[in-house]
Amino acid sequence: MQDRRIPAPWLFAAPLILVMAIGFVWPLLQALVNSLHPNTPQGIDVTQWTFGNYKRLADPFYGEILVRTLRISFAVTAITGLLAYPVALYLARLSPRAQSLVILAYISPWLVNTVVKALGWTLLLRTNGVVNTILLQLDIVSTPLKLMLNETGVVIALIPGHFIFVLLPLWAAVSGLDPALSWAAGTLGARPSAVFWRVILPLTLPAFVAGLVINFIMNMTAFAIPMLLGGARNMVASMLAYQVNLITLDWPMGGALAVTLLALTLAIVWAGQKFAMQLAAGRGLRP
Amino acid sequence: MSLEIVDLVKVFGAVRAVDGVSLSVASGEFFTLLGPSGCGKTTLLRLVAGIYPVGQGSVRLNGRDITRAPMHRRNLAMVFQSFALFPHLSVFDNVAFGLRSRRVPRDETRERVTEALALVKLDAMAERFPAQLSGGQQQRVALARALVVRPDLLLFDEPLSNLDARLRDEMRFEIRDLQRRIGITTVLVTHDIEEAFVMSDRMAVMQAGKIMQVGRADEIYRSPASRFVANFVGPINELALGGIEMVDGRRRALAAGALRVWLPQSGGMGNGRTNLVLRPEALRVAPGEIGTDNSFPAEIVDVVYLGGNSECRVKVGSLQLSAVMPSVVAARLRPGARVSVGWDADDGVMLDAG
Repeated sequence: MQDRRIPAPWLFAAPLILVMAIGFVWPLLQALVNSLHPNTPQGIDVTQWTFGNYKRLADPFYGEILVRTLRISFAVTAITGLLAYPVALYLARLSPRAQSLVILAYISPWLVNTVVKALGWTLLLRTNGVVNTILLQLDIVSTPLKLMLNETGVVIALIPGHFIFVLLPLWAAVSGLDPALSWAAGTLGARPSAVFWRVILPLTLPAFVAGLVINFIMNMTAFAIPMLLGGARNMVASMLAYQVNLITLDWPMGGALAVTLLALTLAIVWAGQKFAMQLAAGRGLRP
Repeated sequence: MSLEIVDLVKVFGAVRAVDGVSLSVASGEFFTLLGPSGCGKTTLLRLVAGIYPVGQGSVRLNGRDITRAPMHRRNLAMVFQSFALFPHLSVFDNVAFGLRSRRVPRDETRERVTEALALVKLDAMAERFPAQLSGGQQQRVALARALVVRPDLLLFDEPLSNLDARLRDEMRFEIRDLQRRIGITTVLVTHDIEEAFVMSDRMAVMQAGKIMQVGRADEIYRSPASRFVANFVGPINELALGGIEMVDGRRRALAAGALRVWLPQSGGMGNGRTNLVLRPEALRVAPGEIGTDNSFPAEIVDVVYLGGNSECRVKVGSLQLSAVMPSVVAARLRPGARVSVGWDADDGVMLDAG
């Protein structure tokens, strides 16, 4: 038979590599180079090299913004993680048709423009909004809760939108499990909770962690929802980046911010994955 | 009685998957649920295991009513078609799973797991993972994992259908011998007749959620209760009967509208139409006289070599019959030859044509 191997398989990836190189890697390198030059009223001084932009990030003003961004992102990822398993386990037991309908429902936040979605949340969460009106009517609270223009509002509004990034891989992993695994564990005397901890969790952990990682990155880079539900007093990193790059036009500072955020996010993702794999190894899971 | 099933019903939507099944399996017995796919045998097994909730009826195990008991409290064990070994656990941990669920002390767990692995000849593989084992070895791990908990009842769901043919033949005998040695009550589900015949003490043939017949292999093969059972457990020749008469105290009839045949002494004359069912090996084919109760001149259509046996197809008038005989006998037969075909009256079975 004729040898039908493709002579240069990398050619298939070439178009995307080209787009990514021009549209992402090149600007990123540019930002890195910019971040090492000082900004002057005349523009970027390419003759000078400095770490000054990074030193400015240590200022409490910037530090507070970075810590707030991390705090919100962790909170959203943690709550999503807790909610995702029950949904995925329930979903996997439905009929295929019902499963696709529920998945569609969870994807639906993405059918709406982010700004419109954020405005929608303000209608729900503001002092005389839908949520507070109901809570007051039912006498659950006596004064309206402050549900927006603070971090609470940002977390509430980010969870539904970014939920799907954890649910999708987890659902695929859970529904891909041989149901006989659970039955085998059950007939061998494991109660349902033990079946989850000893069989389902260890076998779906890699997919779960992958979902959490994507979710966390999405939280770190969210813009419209923190802007409209957090407000100017609860600035997060993406808002700062917007301000620095497009309002004050301090590109070296913007570059330093981008590089720092990238390094921070990568470090957290790497640590999270390492931790999860160690947890899995403790349960006998081979990565 | 060890396992007692009474009037069990399970309905999925509009389908009565298990439709009023009653069964008794004796202590230490190897019992098989045999039937074509979709006959409800696997559903019945899963009802016994507690995987599906029971619709109506009851299941008792050693006198204990387990109809509504959750599966982790039934003290039974199951071997699955896919083996369902835990891929993230070593062979040792797979086998220890049930003992850890039962909070058996550490030392005893180690001892019993080692013992169970020795029983299935896998002592050297304890540290391996399921993906590193062959199909046959995985099957043995699944068996050890089930036996180690000393269940009251062992359930097999098509346990051999994922193995290749030669290994399957070996495992049939191995599992049967192991089961007899331990004396554990066992229920096996299969669609493979040979598997059922080799392994079980008794079996139930199922169709459309109902049990058609219960009995030993020879009873089911030689005295099938219906055309479905006769047809399912092996090839048959069928002749429609008409015009039954008594001649000298024996029954005679017109078969297939052409042959005057003597009928077996017993067996169903229902109200409806009746067929005479003949196994191919009950037919004799030879040149000249053959001395059977029924004998007709015939012409050989074809002789097909099957190994130890050969199948010989003959034509009697417009009627075609299939006979199976040892190949050494068939070697003398040639297509086109004029021969006699015949059978003894009592080798036939009369069954409702309905």
